[in-house]
Amino acid sequence: MSKVMAIGKKEIKGFYLSPNFYVVCFLCAAIFSWVYPNVLNKFAMALQTAVYQPDMPKQQLNIHYQVFLPQLNILNLILIFVVPALTMRLFAEEKKLHTFDLLLTSPVTSAQIVAGKYLAALSAIFGLCFLSFLYPAATTVFAHLNWAPLIIAFLGIFIVGAVYAAMDIFASSLTESAVVAYVLAVIFNMAVWFVGIGVDVVDSPLARQIFEHISLNQHLMALVEGTIRTNSLIFLGSLIFLFCFLCERVVESSRWR
Amino acid sequence: MIEVQNLTKSYGGITAIQSLNFKVNKGEVVGFLGPNGAGKSTTMKIITGFMAPTSGRATVGGYDVFENPIEVKKRIGYLPETPPVYGDMKVRDYLKYVAELKGVPKDRMAKNVERAIEKTSLGAVEKRLIQNLSKGFRQRVGIAQALVSEPEVLILDEPTVGLDPKQVAEIRDLIKELRGQHTIILSTHILPEVQATCERIIIIHRGQIVAQDSLANLTNLKAGQRRVQLKVRKAKAQLDQSLSSVNGVIGVQAGAGDQDWMIDADASEDMIERIASHVIQKGYGLLEITSAKADLEDVFLKLTYGSNQAATELEQGV
Repeated sequence: MSKVMAIGKKEIKGFYLSPNFYVVCFLCAAIFSWVYPNVLNKFAMALQTAVYQPDMPKQQLNIHYQVFLPQLNILNLILIFVVPALTMRLFAEEKKLHTFDLLLTSPVTSAQIVAGKYLAALSAIFGLCFLSFLYPAATTVFAHLNWAPLIIAFLGIFIVGAVYAAMDIFASSLTESAVVAYVLAVIFNMAVWFVGIGVDVVDSPLARQIFEHISLNQHLMALVEGTIRTNSLIFLGSLIFLFCFLCERVVESSRWR
Repeated sequence: MIEVQNLTKSYGGITAIQSLNFKVNKGEVVGFLGPNGAGKSTTMKIITGFMAPTSGRATVGGYDVFENPIEVKKRIGYLPETPPVYGDMKVRDYLKYVAELKGVPKDRMAKNVERAIEKTSLGAVEKRLIQNLSKGFRQRVGIAQALVSEPEVLILDEPTVGLDPKQVAEIRDLIKELRGQHTIILSTHILPEVQATCERIIIIHRGQIVAQDSLANLTNLKAGQRRVQLKVRKAKAQLDQSLSSVNGVIGVQAGAGDQDWMIDADASEDMIERIASHVIQKGYGLLEITSAKADLEDVFLKLTYGSNQAATELEQGV
């Protein structure tokens, strides 16, 4: 465990003590700062006019749907492209700079290496989610809101980020080139959303159910609406485990290849 | 301490090393010698558990490197060809990180890092980012990294590459100092390095061991023979035929220039006298005659590049 922490600590320092991470955070903050006040403003105006439109759907008067959901969608879009940028160096660069030799000749197991690096990636994603969470949190100055569904929604997006991180470190472990790792990782991240299209193209109800279940969208929507479903957690957890396991196998394979 | 049996490694169709067998005892310093691409690095990588052999086995401290890699890695400090340093870390932080990875207990951590910095004289740069250091300093950080866990076995792949002559001398002194406490294997193709530091030499060529013995035994490979270098005034004289008739001369070869000759002869006391008087009598014009002792370089070239003839050609080329 102490070795996992040693690797994790080193990589976390690599994220949080490097200017690159802060440049990314700054750019994300710039996007949020542009979009969030606008969305909030629109919502406030809609509330004012709602008095004259008694037949307006209730959902449109809910800040969670009208303001926080777009914020989470933007965050999700950002994560699809930023998580690969954060994770691409974790293995690819080590291989390229031959520092991987150090890890492979140290008394650590492949699982410890992957776990350490994965924890570090999670910490970086947590940082981005926290940054994004500051905006809804700041809204409490003007409005009274329900904390529990908001926190569960952000937990949901964090778990989705964790799924991206698992797929992306796997992509990074496959290649020596950071650019290839990045492109591969973005394709992985987008692929899990495109899987959901299958729901519309197949006819058999069983196939539909399968596609519905493996589509990230379904699971994320439930969490974003503030409901924690165990089947979602198990599905997302097994995705994370699967890709971390694949990554561990790739690292281990360099010992006998 | 280290035992290698029938070790073979092939990459695809290329066989990098073929049935290597050798043994290194505790506290020994062994030089791994061979031309580029002979399979030195491959052998070292297998011993460190970094890659698996195609067949055969290697053990370190009684543990098989493939079956029990973690136990082996605990006992090994390894400096690869490219020092495995992170550019974005400071020297001291990096060494501390390596010590943590190698499982050095917390109470010994600071002491070990201090000692590694001191032994490789990195004190002046310990607070600088590694990416800003020169190649020589990075190499020293690489050596410090191998030392920091105080391993029983040190495996150094070309430890003095990129260092200036003073640093090379320092590293050699360091290796001499470590002798006895650590078992050391170092690979190189720089011969004086081996002569200066190693007790035993393994010469490897095209993936096979061509010789393994102590330095003294290897350089006396041609026991009872001596080599004489001769320089005469007359260029391109037909010396080889005429000299062959002298009693005790074994072989005559052309040397580097038109006037130079190399003579292999038996080690009898008056050999030089006899050759000299022959040259003078025949009127070739003796300019220089010296007795050259066969050194490691000769042995190395002979073993790795085949015949003496090839060795001379190579020398001329240089």
